Order: sequence, then structure tokens, then C-alpha cells
Amino acid sequence: MNMLEVKGLTKRYPKFSLKHISFALRKGRIMGLIGKNGAGKSTTLKSILHLVSPDAGRVEMFGRDFTKHEQACKQELGVVLGGIDFYHQKKLSDITAVTKRFYENWDDNAYQRYLEAFSLDPNKRVKELSAGMKVKYMIVLALSHNARLLIFDEPTSGLDPVSRDELLGLFRQLVRDGERSILFSTHITSDLEKCADDITYIKDGKLLKSAEKSAFIRSFAHLKEPGETGDLTLEEIMVRTERRRYDV
Amino acid sequence: MSDLLYKELRLAAHPNLFIFTAMGVLVIVPAYPYGMVFLFGCIALFITFMYGRETNDLYFTSLLPIKKIDVVKAKFFLVVLAQMTQILISLPFAILRVYVLPGGNPAGIEANVAYYGFGLIIYVVFNFIFLTEFFKSGYKAGKAFLLGIIPAGLLAVIMEVIVHVPPFQWLDSVEPYMMLRQLPVLLCGTLLYAIGMYAAFKISAQRFERVDL
Repeated sequence: MNMLEVKGLTKRYPKFSLKHISFALRKGRIMGLIGKNGAGKSTTLKSILHLVSPDAGRVEMFGRDFTKHEQACKQELGVVLGGIDFYHQKKLSDITAVTKRFYENWDDNAYQRYLEAFSLDPNKRVKELSAGMKVKYMIVLALSHNARLLIFDEPTSGLDPVSRDELLGLFRQLVRDGERSILFSTHITSDLEKCADDITYIKDGKLLKSAEKSAFIRSFAHLKEPGETGDLTLEEIMVRTERRRYDV
Repeated sequence: MSDLLYKELRLAAHPNLFIFTAMGVLVIVPAYPYGMVFLFGCIALFITFMYGRETNDLYFTSLLPIKKIDVVKAKFFLVVLAQMTQILISLPFAILRVYVLPGGNPAGIEANVAYYGFGLIIYVVFNFIFLTEFFKSGYKAGKAFLLGIIPAGLLAVIMEVIVHVPPFQWLDSVEPYMMLRQLPVLLCGTLLYAIGMYAAFKISAQRFERVDL
């Protein structure tokens, strides 16, 4: 079953366009959305979430049209937008008190359990949290309302290697029971080697390839240089695809 | 509605909103241009909207399981609540001053029926321009404030000055029969406030729907 299906998503800006992006994320899987800075990863995620109004295309979430069933879909969705802090002067307990009122499936016991597991102090203010703790708090909010689909925009950017590794391990744990799926954007390809099942690659606003990881890697075999025998890494694929030479 | 308002009050409202809303008590000051009370009400909204921008309030709200139109609705609830509370806070003091300060307000209009009518008009002129302009972008609060506060300020000046012009001195009275004569001003203010806020909401919601966050 597809948790998320994106069909022909298009968004035109004066100097950038996202063109006909289509991919599907199956239940119990982690999909990495890759592309260099400015490729359109955030625009894709924001268009999926209706934060940006797409000019064309359709988004189906849990088998339902997202535009028509926005409220119901969001009940089962958890989102972390990288680089955006909410209410940095507020305590976590204040943000939780508001958030829980909007979710039908809010589970207070689960919330307390996750807070403890991640060593988050609800009396701390957002500004007192490290980048990794902020992401973890947003994940706690998402898990406490039993989100089945988690969408993260650059969740690992700005994290130290230890926090990043911890977070990626957590991602794997979250999909272990096969009930949740994760879509996360990143330009750190090593994150994907560690935890993604599927890869979707966007270049200059266009979908280059969306496939299961090993099939994805195989499809870029033409980028191998003479004498190279093993599989290319995701970093090699990305660097060789994007490489430009400057005559200066 | 209560969840949206709860979110606005607990997370989005800047503490200044509560302080400036309490400025309704200024009508007990012996000599003061009471039009400032309403302008404080407008400035407080500007500060809260700026604070909202700084705290990514619109992003947070948009990600909640609500529709985009509800993001706008939440802000309108907050605006109306703050302004009506400001009026409610000022009312007992407006009544009290008739007894403790029978000499009247030499600085400008009395806190009478006409004053509240004009106040509602000042509010709605500001709200209409500020809110519809703000929701064009979801972040340009400064421009929206400037565009709104200039006509609202001019209206406040007119209200303060007009009562010194002999043919309009009846607007400055706190005598019961004169205040009865002022009732149409209050009715007109109430009607304009209701219609203006409804129209502002429709336009703001339509504009915000097209905004890319």
C-alpha cells in the first residue's frame, strides 16, 4: 500500500520551476529525497504539504486525495521542517499543551514515554535545545499522535555525526513494525546509505530517478569511469551527475 | 474555534498584546486623548504579528490538522477578542469617571457612547487594511501596519478635534439624553465593524490561500 503518492507535481516560480515530480512511498519504508542545494527538495515537500500551492499535480496520502481530505490526512502526518524553529521562547510543555488539542489520537502516555526516552525536559524552552533535540522533540510530537507518515526536511543538517547517527538509527526503528513510512530530504548522501530503502533524486526541479536503493544505484552505472568495478556510492552518483567545470 | 483561540493566546500572542489590551483603563486619566486607547489596540496587533513572524507561527499553525483558511480564522478570532476585551475593560472606568471626574476631559472627546462608536470605526479601518495587506504575503507586517495606522490615526485625530467644533459639541457630552442622541454613532460603528471584519476575513482568506510559505 502506498502511504504517499505524488503525481505530476508542478510549481512555477519566476526563476525556478518544479516540473512534473512523481513518486510513491510504500508502507514501512524510508525514502530519501536527494538533490543539491536549490534543486527543489523543500519546494517538493512544501507542495506536498500544501504550504506552497502547486500549479499542477496531485498528492495522495493514505490512499486519499490530500487537497480534499487535508484535515484527516494531517491527523496521521508528522512534519519536521529543517531550519525552522517554532516559538523559541516557549517551553516544550506549552507547545505540547496546544498541539495535543488538535489531534484525535493524542496519547499522553506515549508522549511521556518518548520524552523520557529522548531525555527531553518539558520545562525547557525551545531556544535551550540543541539542533538534534529540536528534531527529536518534533518527532515526539509526531509519534504521540500516532503519525503513520513522517515527512522531514533536512532533519540531519547541522547535526554532529553522533546525533546524526542516533537519529538515523531512530528512523530505522520507527519503520520496523511496518506501519510507518518516512520521507526525508537531505543532501548528505551517507545518511541514505545508512537508512534509506528508496531514493528519489531531484535535479534542477526535475525528477531524475525514483527507485529502490540498489536499483537506483544500478541505474547510474553509466557514470562509472573506466576500470571501476564495484557499485558507485550515492555521493559519487550525485557528484558525477551535478559536476560542473568553471572557466575562471 | 476554542482550540484555535487557545493556540493564539498561549503561543502566538506577544505579552505586549495583554498589556496594551489593558490600556482600556486609560479612560480614567483626567485629561488624555482617549483615541490613543484604540491606537494602542492597533499597535498591539502589529507587535503580535511581528512576533508571529519571528516565531514561525504561521508555519506551525499550517502544519496542524486544520485547513489553510483556519490559519486566517485564528488570527481574526484573536483580533476581535483583543479589541472587544479592550472595550470591556474600559467600560467600568468610563462610567466611574463620570462620578469621580465630573469636570470632563479637556484634552479631547469624553469616554461616551459616541467615543465607542468612533473607536469601532478606528479599529475596523485599521483591521481591514492591516489584515488584508498582511495576508497577501504572510510576513510583511511592517508595510501593512503603516498603511493601516495612518488612516486609523487620522480618524482618531478627527474624533478628538471635532468635539471642539461648536456644531459637534453634543458628541462630547456624558449627559444621558445627549448620549441617547449619540447612539446612531455607536450603531454605525458596530455595523461597520461587523461588515468590515467579515469582508476583511473573506479577502484575507482568499489571499492567504495563494501565499507560498
